[in-house]
Parts: sequence; structure tokens; C-alpha cells
Amino acid sequence: MQDIAAEAVKFIDLNAINVTFLFIVGFIGGLVSGFIGSGGAFVLTPGMMSLGVPGAVAVASNMCHKFPKAMVGAYKRWKYGQVDIKLGLVMAASAGVGVQVGIMIQEWILKNWGQAGSNLYVSLSFVVILVIVGGYVFYDAYKTAKSGGEEKVTGLAQWLQSINLPPMMHFKTANVRISMWFTIPIGFATGMLAATIAVGGFIGVPGMIYVLGASGLVASATELVIAFVMGFGGSVKWAIGGMVDIRLTLIILAGSLLGVQLGAIGTTYVKEHMIKIVMGTIMLIVAVSRGLAVPKYLTQLGVISLPESTISLMMSASFIIMCIALAVGALIILGSMWKAKRAETAAEGALALEEGH
Amino acid sequence: MLNFIKKIQGKKRDLEEKNPRQDAGPDQETRPKPEVPRKILVVGKGETPDVEVMDYAVNLAERLGYDLIALSVNTALGQKGRLFTPYKYHLRKKFAQRARDAGEALRKKAALKGVGLEQVVKCGDLRSAVAEVHRQSKRIEFVITQDGIKEKEVNGDLNIPVFSITGYQGERAMAKDADSRGSGLIGKTVGFGLATAVLYAAVFMNTDTVMQYFTKGAWYAALPIATVFVFSFVHGAFSGYLWEALGIQAPKKVQPRPAAAKRPVARKRPRPELRINT
Repeated sequence: MQDIAAEAVKFIDLNAINVTFLFIVGFIGGLVSGFIGSGGAFVLTPGMMSLGVPGAVAVASNMCHKFPKAMVGAYKRWKYGQVDIKLGLVMAASAGVGVQVGIMIQEWILKNWGQAGSNLYVSLSFVVILVIVGGYVFYDAYKTAKSGGEEKVTGLAQWLQSINLPPMMHFKTANVRISMWFTIPIGFATGMLAATIAVGGFIGVPGMIYVLGASGLVASATELVIAFVMGFGGSVKWAIGGMVDIRLTLIILAGSLLGVQLGAIGTTYVKEHMIKIVMGTIMLIVAVSRGLAVPKYLTQLGVISLPESTISLMMSASFIIMCIALAVGALIILGSMWKAKRAETAAEGALALEEGH
Repeated sequence: MLNFIKKIQGKKRDLEEKNPRQDAGPDQETRPKPEVPRKILVVGKGETPDVEVMDYAVNLAERLGYDLIALSVNTALGQKGRLFTPYKYHLRKKFAQRARDAGEALRKKAALKGVGLEQVVKCGDLRSAVAEVHRQSKRIEFVITQDGIKEKEVNGDLNIPVFSITGYQGERAMAKDADSRGSGLIGKTVGFGLATAVLYAAVFMNTDTVMQYFTKGAWYAALPIATVFVFSFVHGAFSGYLWEALGIQAPKKVQPRPAAAKRPVARKRPRPELRINT
């Protein structure tokens, strides 16, 4: 390639293995994000980078596939009556501010501690947030499953909803009436996390569930609206810089549009707490994966010293575990869909038999 | 003639109508008079009338606030002369059984829209079957027949309007149910699939040109953004239809429908009746 852009940024050559890998990861990532509202990006960006794509291009191309995917998923789930568009837009507005602040923090860390410091900050945020939030989501899902699958609004959400701090907003689909001031920190944190670890939904969805009091179904569907707005803004910014490799974007999109619709359909089959189970599981496994990357950055900063071979082993383990997180999520989704579908068919058969007599 | 479905409702109504007439006098205005809903008679030659005819009739009945009578007539099993073989009797029983099973599903479907549906199964010629139902049931306003039944076949001495529904047109016009668009799904899947393939081929066969312009930045940023939008519409539609064609779609329960009868309150339309003015 001799074109002008290629001189500035190196775009990779595509071969069958690259294409297949991106398509499959795109599909699985789409499946997970159609189901829990976000996900996939955390595997795709490092995945592309391991194929030799420069970091900025990987992030840009990934983001450029994320917003159309979120759009298709949001539309599908909106048809099922699960999306609260107003809540999504309100959250997205404050998330936009969060992204800017997140980028500023990143730049400040980069300036003071260099690339390793920045990576350490990202990994540590991953581990801390995912362990705390993911652990709670998983615990809550486990509790719900044990008590018969009935979702309850948390005490915190009930308390916040009872505070009459104008302007009060009513979100019809989520069936929540809450002060606008309580939605802002959730949106802000979502944006900040998106700027830091590329998956804002890991804060946004639990935030909407436990702080605002929306159901898991509505929260995960509404997250797609937030992802669309933020992804669109981010993509325009990256595209103006000429960083989007449209080939990579389109290959991932080919898989993820299939996946996101399947994931969206999946939410209509399974019990609501399945969304929390999938989300909690993925978050905890990803936390382990990012935890394994921490020693490398600590070594680079000179805090600890580890042999080179151990670090590279840990890094490969980290990437493999990340892929496993996504695969496990996809397996839970497909498995529960399969089970629900079979139960539905059996029920229909029984009904038909009954009518026959 | 064998009547499998007893007209219990009709008989009850007859009894009820006879009783109140005994107490005539000044309280005649306020006596409780059973409001008999107006009805549409749907006639079909199969076990039940065709799906599209039924859909049309249910929608029409919902709008008008009428009830439905679904009449299934098996013209082949009528009694000609005095002979009636056990085999024919067996066939009739089978027919009635199947019709009743199918009718149950119809009744549930109609009940979702708040339309009452009564099923009548008869064997013999259409004209006498319709005449009999008309005699037994009150207030049949008009008859809807499925394609292939002539008006003359239905309307003998009776004077009720008869409408024939041909094919899917009526159903298409009135019922835009997602579940009734089965056909054409494969066509749409293939169509959008081909369009997707063409789009992908267009980009990947001209990779060099595409990459040159798409990565220029500044205003050229509109190119990748517009491209992903176009791809997401076409490929998104394709994948949506693909899952649907593969039978993977949301179960019916997620499309909320009025579970109970939600129809306008029936206005009183008193029928003219003879009264002696004292």
C-alpha cells in the first residue's frame, strides 16, 4: 500500500485466519452485547492488537463497529418493549461528559507515568471495578435464582426514588420516577469507564438496576442506546483522524449484527436474572484476566521484578482467559435459550395434546 | 341431519326471551332485556374457514363490536336419499372432531381481541346449513364466505348480504400481525442476503481505493460512518430475517396484547317491537 494514509498508520493485510477470527469474535461479542447491553469490545481491541493492528486503529475500528451494532440491537429490543429511550438519552448525555473527563485523566497519567503507568491504571480500574460490581451482580443474581427468579428493587433505589429533588423525571418503560440528579453520576461513571476500559456497560447496567431501580431487562436494553450515542460520537472523532480501518470494522460487523440480534431474541426467552448471571460471570472472569496483566506493568514501572518468560506467560494467559470470559457468557446465553426453547416446545405440545382430547 | 354442536346458547336465549314477556305493563321499559350481540356468520367448506378469512372476520367483528359464528360445512358428507352408511357416519364424526379442535384455537384467537366466537359444524349443502343457522341464531347481520363459494350457494330464500373474501387481501389490509407474514420471509432473507453480499464484494474488491479515501480524515470521515450505517441497515435486516426464517424469534408472549376483552361498551340499539299503547 502506497497511499498517503498508510504512511502515517500501518494497516494490516488480511488473510483467512484474521478474517475468521474477527468474524467469530464479532459474532460472540455481538451475542453477549445483545443480551447484557455491552461486551465484546474488551476482547476485540486486544485481539486486533495481537493480530498486529496498531492500538489506535484497533480502538477506532472497534468503536466504529460498536455503534451500528448497538443501534441494531437497541432497535430489536425496542420492538420487544424493553428500551427506555428517554433514560438512555439522559444517561448518554452525562456519559458524554464522563468520557471527556476519563480521557483527561488518561492523558494526565500518561504524561506523568508513561505508557506503563497508563496501562497499570487501566488494568487496576478493571480489576477493582469488575470485582466489586461483578461480584455484587453475581451475588444478586444467585440470590434471585434461589428465591424463585423474582426480581426486587433494591432499598437504595427505593430510597433515591422517594427523594423529591427537582427536576424529577419519569421513565415510562423502566417505570421509574427519580430525580435527574441521581441519573447524572451513573451516566458520568459509565462514560468514564468507557473511556478507561472501553466497556461502560459494566457500570451503566448495574447502576441502572441497583441505583435507579430499573429491571435487568430494561437496563441492559437501554445500555444499547447509551452505547450507540457514545459509540457514534467516538467513531466520528476517530474517523476525522482517519484511524478507522473500514475493512476490520465491516468484518466484525458481519459477525456482530448476527450475534446482537440473536442475543436480543435470547432476552425474550430466558428468565430475567439470567442477564445478571451472564454479566456477573463475564465481569469476574475478565477481572481475573486483567489481574494477570498487572505484574507486567508493575515490572515496567520498576515496582517489582519478574523474569521475562513469566510475564509473557501471564500475558498470554490473560488474553486466553479474556476469550474464555466471552465464550462462557455466550455458552450460558445459548444454553439457557436452548433450554427455554425446548420447554416452550414441550408446553406447546402438551397444550396441543390437551386440545386434542 | 346430525347436529354435533348443540345450540345451547340459542335455546337459553329463547327461554329468556319468553319469560320476561309475561310481565307486561308499566315496568315494561325497565325490564331486563338480554342484549343479543349482532353477529357475522363466517362460512367455510373446510374444517374451519380459511385463516385469512377468519383473521379478516375477527378484525371486522372487533371494529364493529359484533360476535362471530364460524360455520364449517362438509358438503361431501350430506345425506342423499335414505341410505346412510356407517362409514359415512364415521367420516362425519371424524370431521366434527377435527373441526372442533381447530375451532378451539380460533375461539382463543378471537377472545384475545374480545370477540365472542361460536362454532357450528354441519354436513350437507351450504344453503340449508346457512338457513338453519340463521333460523337458530338471532341477529346475523351479514355473511362472510371464503373464496370459491358463490353467493347463490349460500343465499337461498334468505335476504342477508354475502361478502366473499379472496385470498390474503383482506387479511393484509386489516391485520398486520407479525406472525401472519410467514410467506415472503425466505424471499426477503435471500434478497437482503444478496444485497449484503454485493455490498461486501463492492468494498473488498476495491480495498485499495476504499482505504485511500476512507482514511483521509477530516470531511472524508463521513465515508466510513455512512458506510457502517448502510451496512447495518442491509446486513441487519438480513440477519433479522435469517433468524426468523430459521425459526428463532421472540415467543409470542413478549408482544403485549389485550388479554381481556377490550371493546367499546355496547350502545343500546333497541329493536323495534310491537307494544300496545294503553
